[in-house]
Amino acid sequence: MMKVNFSQSIGETLMGKIFALLCVSGMVLGSIESLQAAPPGRKVRIAVLMYGNKAEFVQLMQRYGKQHPAVTSGLADLTFYDGRYDAAVQNDQAQLAINSKYDAIIVNPLDFEANIEVVAKAKAAHIPVIVTNARLNTQEMTSAVDSDDVLGGYMEAKAVLQKLGCRGNVVIIEGPKGGSGEIQRGQGNNKAISECLAGAVRVLERKTANWSRSEAMDLMQNWLQKDKGKINGIIGQNDEMALGAIEAIKSAGLNVHDFAIAGIDGVSDALNAVKRGEMTSILQDAKAQIQASIDVAMRAVLGAGYQPMSPIWKQYERDMKWSDGQSKHYLVPWMVVTPTNADELLASRR
Amino acid sequence: MAPDYELAKVEQAQPVEPFEELPSAADLWRARESLGNVRKFARNYGIVVAFILLCISVSIVCQYRVVKGDWTENIFLTTDNFRLILYQISVNGILAVGMTLVVISGGIDLSVGSVLAFAGMLAASCGTSLSGVTPWSGNYALAVPILFALFGGVACGALNGWVVARFRIQPFIVTLGMLLAARGATMALTGGNPIASLNPQFRWLGNGKLLTVPVPILLFAMVFTVAWIILNKTVFGRYVYAVGGNERSARTSGIRSNRIKIWVYAISGLLAGVAGIILTAKTGSGQTNAGSSYELDAIAAAVIGGTSLSGGVGRLSGTLFGALIMGVMNNSLDILGVESYYQLIIKGVLIVTAVVIDPARKAAE
Repeated sequence: MMKVNFSQSIGETLMGKIFALLCVSGMVLGSIESLQAAPPGRKVRIAVLMYGNKAEFVQLMQRYGKQHPAVTSGLADLTFYDGRYDAAVQNDQAQLAINSKYDAIIVNPLDFEANIEVVAKAKAAHIPVIVTNARLNTQEMTSAVDSDDVLGGYMEAKAVLQKLGCRGNVVIIEGPKGGSGEIQRGQGNNKAISECLAGAVRVLERKTANWSRSEAMDLMQNWLQKDKGKINGIIGQNDEMALGAIEAIKSAGLNVHDFAIAGIDGVSDALNAVKRGEMTSILQDAKAQIQASIDVAMRAVLGAGYQPMSPIWKQYERDMKWSDGQSKHYLVPWMVVTPTNADELLASRR
Repeated sequence: MAPDYELAKVEQAQPVEPFEELPSAADLWRARESLGNVRKFARNYGIVVAFILLCISVSIVCQYRVVKGDWTENIFLTTDNFRLILYQISVNGILAVGMTLVVISGGIDLSVGSVLAFAGMLAASCGTSLSGVTPWSGNYALAVPILFALFGGVACGALNGWVVARFRIQPFIVTLGMLLAARGATMALTGGNPIASLNPQFRWLGNGKLLTVPVPILLFAMVFTVAWIILNKTVFGRYVYAVGGNERSARTSGIRSNRIKIWVYAISGLLAGVAGIILTAKTGSGQTNAGSSYELDAIAAAVIGGTSLSGGVGRLSGTLFGALIMGVMNNSLDILGVESYYQLIIKGVLIVTAVVIDPARKAAE
């Protein structure tokens, strides 16, 4: 009888509810914590703030981050935060990282303007902060490591136009309207098109599919219906959308090899499509971006004696200099994926 | 009747007949009845009329392009294009069928998009040639991925229904929880990675054809027919309406409303599983962000089709046309080259307008 009363009152009072909630969340946290055993010893602790973790590219960055020699050798310790595609969440996580006394912060920001706060807060707390992959409209960060989206857009459009001999009709599948990716890659697309003879290349259609494969598939199907037999080239501002276009072409019973198709990022499906000769992909080197960021962060924390440990500095020796980790802006070169290097890349992702 | 007739006969003898023009009581009756018929017609077929009007207006705009010389033929009005529209709505249509059942029963299912992704990922993880992603990875052709996906969908749906029924929690909250949990489970399944290179047998479910009809359309037709029979021709279907109309009186008349609810959510989960299979097979890859916000499109299709969010009212045929209207809108706005911003505005206006002018709602008032 006592027991029943006790459990009833636990369930019914507010305190009881809070208590039960705390117990449950404590259990969940405890079990998660025990899965990630904390390693002993003083390490360089780096907080990595990602804008979200649903995209394959972010997954790749996280994986390559963990493969950095400094991390595998136990010199550095990475903690990844999921910004849940919300700039405000990311700013809060920056505060959390500062409060938790991390030695450095690497941020892959969601928003060009809204996430400047991450840099401002870190700077105020005298913590080195490195902006990676995407850009922030500030110069206050320790360093920025990214790739030039205008150049990427230029390279992919160039690949399509080369295959077409700089004449014909193209369509452009854009990223989310107003985002920096869509704007800058779009500028690159336009630049490449303007380099052909005036009027030789017509942009038949230009519309967003929000980086999504299934949206791009629907869009491309509708365009194939509308511009039957007229489309020669497809410029997808990322690989997912280019892959959606390929699916649309196949479902319409057309031959993919009759089209010149390109995308950006080098996601695994695109690498396979490159191997089949269906498209061109411009690899945005996730490995180089995150590993360079880690080295720059380590240099900022450990001082002048630190030598970069990632193999990417050797790989890009010619185009991206280490300069003692003091450079304000590291531009990771784009890489055109070919059937030969596609195999290597795929193998490294297994 | 007879005296009236007699009177008329007598009056006929008179030279002037001012009253003959006036309608008789019977005429009034008939007129009133036919007005009622118009209402009834509007209630039953208003959505069809709206769909036809939409098609006609799009055709006219497209025909204008032809006259102007931009196009050589009316691209919208081709069988190819209508087949394409059906192909494109099949995923949303299947989700909307499940959603209609749930909404008629007085609930809502916000989790269908996430459950779709979860089921699709389950299917992909055992239908791929890249093994080792999950403990059950392998290169199974059809049966195993389908069973995994359907089981995953039903499990999520039944759990939704059980929590809703057992703990009497608002379905909005329960399925919101599942929306998050299923998305998380999808990512956990593969560590956030997509699963690509699905085998051709499985992909056939998304891009194959049977006698020139794409497989997703056939699956949608099957789902629709079975659901229609269940909802309209079985006792269970009547009970779904009864529970949604007035749960208390349904229960007092001996209907086990909890059981009905669990079934309804399980069906919705099952259909999310079917949709997940189709979408995964269509795009050729299991993706963690597949189906994001699809629940809203499914709700929109049901609502445009006249299903009332307060439960007890709705028809599957309405939902079919709701999904068709949305499909035609997306297709025609792409064909006409309307910017995507306006597409969203038009969709928003359409949903609200459909509810405002819904004759069924007016009749209820």
